[in-house]
Amino acid sequence: MKRTARPSSTRLAALGVASLASAYAYAGPERIAYPAGYQTTFVNYNQIERPDRKPAQVRFMYATRAAAAAAKASEPVPYGAILIMEDREAKLDADGKPLRDAEGRFIASDKVLNVFVQQKGQGWGEAYPPEKRNGDWEYAWFNADGTRRENAKFDGCFSCHTSRAGRDFTFTFVKWVIDGKP
Amino acid sequence: MDVRPRTTRLMAVAAAVVGVTTALPAAAAEYTVSLKGTTFQPPTVNAKVGDTLKFINDDSVDHEMFVPTKGFGVDLGMQKPPTVSELKLAKQGSFEVECVIHPHMVLKVNVSQ
Repeated sequence: MKRTARPSSTRLAALGVASLASAYAYAGPERIAYPAGYQTTFVNYNQIERPDRKPAQVRFMYATRAAAAAAKASEPVPYGAILIMEDREAKLDADGKPLRDAEGRFIASDKVLNVFVQQKGQGWGEAYPPEKRNGDWEYAWFNADGTRRENAKFDGCFSCHTSRAGRDFTFTFVKWVIDGKP
Repeated sequence: MDVRPRTTRLMAVAAAVVGVTTALPAAAAEYTVSLKGTTFQPPTVNAKVGDTLKFINDDSVDHEMFVPTKGFGVDLGMQKPPTVSELKLAKQGSFEVECVIHPHMVLKVNVSQ
């Protein structure tokens, strides 16, 4: 067997660089699979109106049943949790204004525009530099048919969710848990 | 011609006036909330159904009003200075308004009938 002539320290350094590169290459939305069937198998724990969108939208927030059941206000969200933010068009009247239900809330249509997924995996955050890392959360963006959104960028997900580090990088899920899972 | 005694007629008129008064809805109020210095001012609003919150971005930076409370959830979108955004209070209950960008900003809103 032919032996390499490189010194041991050089080989170790190369190995280290290769290992780091491998970790960074693996990190990203490809870690997350499209959560087929989430509309019926997940918990729809909140809905957020977006009157600023043209046309207006309603965001349906989902969580895996296991995460919804296990989450506690005093603890980080359990590993394996999958959170979904699904954008739907709101139903509109003849003037293009959102239709509202008896409580004054937007009525959503069945037209899904985006499926954003936030998933937590053990050690996933280690691939990111500290200034970007969102704990052990990763993000992915899918179309309504489950295909991945082409040319999707995720820096915005990381930077925006960093503002909610105190709620384990979630805007609504941990808030819902803190509020007693109403 | 009304032949009822004068006191009876007066009572009927008074009752009608009271009836009209109670039938009229109270005028909807507007509550102005300042965002200056990345701080909600006032920090709490006690309002009624039908009232409106007006968020005045009199600050030097962008803000984004966001309600994460279940049943009241809404995101009013990015708001640059010196613009105004509005939130109509359509249902009774209590909720918090946060700024997406500045997590320390929290406004408590109580809405009664």
